[in-house]
Amino acid sequence: MTESFVSIRNLYKIFGNNAPAMVSYAKAGMHKKDMLQAYGHVLGLRDINVEIKKGEITVIMGLSGSGKSTLIRHLNRLVDPTAGEIIVNGTDIMKLDRARLQQLRRTQMSMVFQKFALLPHETVLRNAGMPCSVRGDGRAKTDQTARKWLSRVGLAGSEALYPHQLSGGMQQRVGLARALTSNSELMLMDEAYSALDPLIRSSMQELLLELQKDLQKTVVFITHDLDEALKLADHLVILKDGEIVQQGEPQYILLNPADPYIEDFVSDINRARVLRVRSVMEKTIAEDDGYEVLDGDETLERAILRSHGAADKSFAVHSDGTRVGTLKMTDVLKALVPTAATGRNHTNV
Amino acid sequence: MAAYERAFDTLGLRSWCDAGAISGPMSMDDLLAKAGAAGTDQTESFPFPSLDVLHKACGAIPRTRDMTAGLERLFLDVKDPAKVVLDPVTQPLSWALRNAIDLMQSLPWWAAILILVAIAHCAGRRIGVTIFVLVAFLGLAFIDHFGYAMQTLAIIMVCTFICVLFGVPIGIAMSRSNRLERWLTPFLDLLQTLPTFVYLIPLIFLFSVTEPKLYGIAIILYAIVPSIRLTNLGIRLVDKDVLEAGEAFGMTSWQKLYRVQLPLALPNIMAGINQTIMLSLSMVVIASLVSAPGLGTLVLRGINKLELGVGLVAGLGIVLLAIVLDRVSRAALQRVNKMHQSRT
Repeated sequence: MTESFVSIRNLYKIFGNNAPAMVSYAKAGMHKKDMLQAYGHVLGLRDINVEIKKGEITVIMGLSGSGKSTLIRHLNRLVDPTAGEIIVNGTDIMKLDRARLQQLRRTQMSMVFQKFALLPHETVLRNAGMPCSVRGDGRAKTDQTARKWLSRVGLAGSEALYPHQLSGGMQQRVGLARALTSNSELMLMDEAYSALDPLIRSSMQELLLELQKDLQKTVVFITHDLDEALKLADHLVILKDGEIVQQGEPQYILLNPADPYIEDFVSDINRARVLRVRSVMEKTIAEDDGYEVLDGDETLERAILRSHGAADKSFAVHSDGTRVGTLKMTDVLKALVPTAATGRNHTNV
Repeated sequence: MAAYERAFDTLGLRSWCDAGAISGPMSMDDLLAKAGAAGTDQTESFPFPSLDVLHKACGAIPRTRDMTAGLERLFLDVKDPAKVVLDPVTQPLSWALRNAIDLMQSLPWWAAILILVAIAHCAGRRIGVTIFVLVAFLGLAFIDHFGYAMQTLAIIMVCTFICVLFGVPIGIAMSRSNRLERWLTPFLDLLQTLPTFVYLIPLIFLFSVTEPKLYGIAIILYAIVPSIRLTNLGIRLVDKDVLEAGEAFGMTSWQKLYRVQLPLALPNIMAGINQTIMLSLSMVVIASLVSAPGLGTLVLRGINKLELGVGLVAGLGIVLLAIVLDRVSRAALQRVNKMHQSRT
């Protein structure tokens, strides 16, 4: 779980005619606005360092214009960086020629798009089988794989339909099935659920988590929605104006926001529902203190419910059957109030 | 007038003017001037310095009619070497046209109508359109215009086929290179705006009037433009997201072309083909001036011999044919469009 599948190191992306010359200014810390005014170049991404762990969901969150879609397109080189390194599964993808890059895209990574990007003239089955047919697999094998994943995302029986005959949510299920059919380790999801309405979005999130439990893919998920980010992320990266403001475990970011921007961002969140018991508990283990047992992965909401509102109660926190800590209800109440930024720069857990 | 002579004198070009003096047959102006019936414009002290006016002041400068004659000489000079290349290259066109016309006329009427109706039905899949096609052809046969209509149709089919064969690849190439698009666009504009009769003039010099390729080339040059333009446009308008998806899953540029770009551009390409068919039809009538057979010859006869009825009926026959071709190709286009309305 701790092995990095993708490493992004010192990545800069500058848009403009003379971008390479601008890198030194960006490195010197020139502000995005100044660069646009003085040189007419747009600073897309500045000094991005992210380790994407194998089998985890890494969520990159930011508002529009923060560079998140540009960043994810660097991973399969739909966009080339101005400076920096991208290592995928041990290969520096900047050093690949065209043919080997195509090979990498065919075997190592798949992508799900915000606007679905299905082929309108091909059936659902052919769409889902696209990664295989692009690779040159036979029709029978392609269809078999596509059928398997279509039924896995709940679309069995719709194989012969065309994309326009499906609703948005169903179309995105086809998009998801297409990504799974490629059978690649890395799955890039570019605002995959942003175009869906809230109820369908929520069920698609459940579907992704459920699939993730079985498949343990390395997922990079882009979103502008903090609720979605907190629900899905194992590792959360927050981008602002092309720079990483903070990254780490979502629970940690919620409890220790690095700066006022993130503080603002997380202030509207229903913390009781997002924070887990294990993030708030004390790691003191006193045996036989007779407290009620509570699982570490429960939300604070559950804990409040279990305590019946009693502020002086404590719980014994268990994880996988063993005692890992103690939860005091006073800590729970404190955790429910948004914390002010500590001023120090927390970029790591 | 004198002003220009003085100008040449002061520039020290007098000797050059006299040495290179171009003499030619007298023009009407010269004759009039000689007769003493000088036109009023000749006394004008400062006429526009056109070629003719300057020629009077300086003999070395060519007259306008020397220029047009020069252009003709130039064309005649390159004609023979050009023919060496163009003749064999275009020979298959003559062959195709001749055979298509023969084939269409050798079919018994019922077989021809059956085949055409079947084609119309397969392309359009619309029962109303199919019935209309059947009625239209039966009507043409009833007034004894079926043979002429078949000739016209054969020419259109061959020319449209060739237009698509060359137009779509050119359009694809154009969509991939902005430079090619910049270079080709004025040329396509020229082809589309050049008066249709003007096409025929150089072609008559190049090829013998008895050869079908003469009118074939005229029709193709005129009708290929929308195929090229709309293929280019269609591919340029392909949804960037879908193209990006192809790219992300590792498609080669060939795979992108035939799995994404061409299918998604198909509605536009079909619209281009529809336009190509219509333009072929309009040109095939004019091409009857250079021996293209078909309904156009009847129209021409109507004009030449002032046979009002013949010309009018043939003209209406062409309209009927145009409606048939348009409805069938448009029904096919709509069928494709329906499959493509996926954006929600």
